[in-house]
Amino acid sequence: MADNPAVDQKSAKANFASDQDVRWCPGCGDYAILAQMKKVLPEIGVPREKVVFISGIGCASRFPYYINSYGFHTIHGRAPAVATGVKLANPELSVWIITGDGDSLSIGGNHLLHLCRRNLNVNIILFNNQIYGLTKGQYSPTSPVGKRTKTTPYGSLDTPFNPMSLVLGAGASFVARTIDRDTKHMAATFKRAAAHKGCSFVEVYQNCIIFNDGAFQSVTDPKIKQENLLYLEDGRELVYGADNDKGIRLEGLKLEAAALNGPESRNGLLKHQETMPDEAYTYLLSKMTERPDLPTPIGVFRALERPTYDEVFMQQIDDVTQKKGKGNLKELFITGNTWKVD
Amino acid sequence: MLQTRERPKPVVLPAYCKGCGRCVSACPQHCITLGTEINPESGLIPVEIDLEKCNGCGLCFAACPEPYGLTAYDPLMDLDESYLKFPDEDSSTAPVPQEISGETLPLPPVEPLMIKGTYAAAIGALLAGCRHFFGYPITPSTEGAELMAKLLPNLNGVFVQAVSEVATVNMMYGCGGAGMPCMTFTSSPGFSLMLEGVSYMIGAEVPGVFINIMRGGPGLGNIGPEQADIKLACRGLGHGNTHAIVLTPDSPQEMLDLTMLAFELTFKYRNPVVLLGDGYLGQITGKVKLPERMIKPGIPSWGVYGDDMHRRNLICSIQLSEPDLEIHNLHLNEKYQRIIESEQRADCFHCDDADTLIIAANTPARMAKGAVQVLRDRGVKAGLFRPITLWPFPIDILAPLLPKLRQIVIVEASNGQLEDELRLALSHAEIIDVPPISHVRHFGGVLPQQQEIIDRVLETIDTEVTS
Ligand code: SF4
Ligand code: SF4
Ligand code: SF4
Repeated sequence: MADNPAVDQKSAKANFASDQDVRWCPGCGDYAILAQMKKVLPEIGVPREKVVFISGIGCASRFPYYINSYGFHTIHGRAPAVATGVKLANPELSVWIITGDGDSLSIGGNHLLHLCRRNLNVNIILFNNQIYGLTKGQYSPTSPVGKRTKTTPYGSLDTPFNPMSLVLGAGASFVARTIDRDTKHMAATFKRAAAHKGCSFVEVYQNCIIFNDGAFQSVTDPKIKQENLLYLEDGRELVYGADNDKGIRLEGLKLEAAALNGPESRNGLLKHQETMPDEAYTYLLSKMTERPDLPTPIGVFRALERPTYDEVFMQQIDDVTQKKGKGNLKELFITGNTWKVD
Repeated sequence: MLQTRERPKPVVLPAYCKGCGRCVSACPQHCITLGTEINPESGLIPVEIDLEKCNGCGLCFAACPEPYGLTAYDPLMDLDESYLKFPDEDSSTAPVPQEISGETLPLPPVEPLMIKGTYAAAIGALLAGCRHFFGYPITPSTEGAELMAKLLPNLNGVFVQAVSEVATVNMMYGCGGAGMPCMTFTSSPGFSLMLEGVSYMIGAEVPGVFINIMRGGPGLGNIGPEQADIKLACRGLGHGNTHAIVLTPDSPQEMLDLTMLAFELTFKYRNPVVLLGDGYLGQITGKVKLPERMIKPGIPSWGVYGDDMHRRNLICSIQLSEPDLEIHNLHLNEKYQRIIESEQRADCFHCDDADTLIIAANTPARMAKGAVQVLRDRGVKAGLFRPITLWPFPIDILAPLLPKLRQIVIVEASNGQLEDELRLALSHAEIIDVPPISHVRHFGGVLPQQQEIIDRVLETIDTEVTS
């Protein structure tokens, strides 16, 4: 299994641009994500014939057409299941699942959870624009309560999913968030995801300029974003603000924002730890977006090593072969108790 | 006065015992053994008890996890046989469910509306009394759902955008099971996903209206108009012996009229009804006259509405014993037969004297109608036979036209699925003397055009003349 495939010098120069016309709306956040992916892929050092992009249905899911690698445009919500098949058929591949909030969290919610639980060594990039774009503007499982769309003309009643909390709960071993407008951060996050051994989940805040423009304005508007963004860095205190003058503390079982004025005020600030095995801390981080008084964390929430599904799967095949010898169908048919399962 | 009384001994209630065997190991006297026979009511294998050695210690009662698995047998009391069975309906003290009848209300006359097909169907549903909509966005059907989302809330109605088509159809199962008219708009891939639930609805005899605005397939295909779900709707509604009435409108007006009819039929037969439109029909705008009456539905006697009156009702598709399930299938088949006999519908255009019959449904029928007019102008006795029900196929209406015919041309946006329905119907009706059948077919969002229909008809006539 090639978890960190050797850098192929040729592929570093390979161009991942495909010959397809990109058909997203002008100004869509998807373009920025595509550009960064094309930039990052050669740097990851996997030759493009070892890369496969697998998507479901939705605007985001057109992605595989636009990358010159293997690609799979699959059934609505089912990309994780198809990816499981692909990865187990050929564990050497670098598998990328491209999905949206509708695709992965409504119709495909089930498949997403089980992919995380199994820790298959693949990367999931969730383009979260909080709307159904392809079908022209209906609310999605991440649309906020009260959101008016064509199918919620009087405001949505549904409590939205928090994708980060959801995948943490499902046991994802790598969880990160980035923003379409912050290209450097996005590229760095994709690289981290690729390097992680196990199921990497990246939520990208993606602006749908046509049906949900400005959904993430508070973290993309240059005038206000510094006050609303918390960049996570392993080992660094949770400090934010244009002048780094605010921090996050744990008060009881709750996170609190604290103004930093003087060295003493830094006492008790939380220090970010990506490898915290206990979910509680990371879960609190994931819930920050539901608190108007707290900033939105971006970066790597968690990066935890645990055995991957493809790894243990292949291991089991080796173990059984070692114990029972290499199987031979002819012999199997004439062996005494073959048809008894005990 | 002191009275000794024997301690009660256990009796197994076979319908309630799940055969877990806890009592078997609990009994120190080894009175209880695992059974060998399936209980027809529960489908499980209850234990058997031999009371000869039983001393009434009571340990088995404590061991049994089922509230009614074992009961105490009091020798002073006569054990009534019926006690050993599930209470049947007649012994229930609940009231006998009655129908709460609906009403037909006059609709004040209004000017015809200029609306697209999906909107017309949505309005038809509202006029038929549907106040419950479940659906999942899918092009090209979503506009119908969007209109429902807008109109339903202040009509005291319910609109739910489900998380998938699988969720949608099960919401309909619940709502239809309560006896309420409900519907969805979907398109081909979504309809595929719903079929499991459709089979359950047919099995449990739950009404519901499915409007499938068919698009190009197979697989993801595209969002262009196709008729490639005819096979699915007529022959493939999930597993089991299933059928449902399939209606095929050809105009926004019929999108409304047939949606209203669909609601009437779905309750009349307690069976889902499928309305097949095509992507083009969903989008085109046309003049739509509203009916003179609208429906205020009641609650059917069988509905599990959740009130005192309907307490006895049960909606389910499970029949564990083989003979029972066969009886249920016979009942469904008898229903399908009644539908075949009384619900065939078709529109005949210039059919009476026709020697050339074009058969088409949905949007292709519009092109075919144009072709018939041109052919008539050129002196060809052409007619259009347009099935309005595809299942049941309107063979009884078609059969009398056949003797006069020199040819049949089937025009469809699928690979012969309409033709298959025709040929099956001819075969079942044992009609052997059939004129030559040719066809014009297109797929993938391409629709048959008027000129090629004309060419096909003339081509056949020419070969006839020259040969
Ligand atoms: S609809 Fe929205 S998400 Fe889809 S391509 Fe257009 S801008 Fe992007
Ligand atoms: S009462 Fe005691 S002896 Fe009798 S069947 Fe039950 S466990 Fe056995
Ligand atoms: S414990 Fe109860 S349910 Fe289980 S086998 Fe005995 S009687 Fe049946």
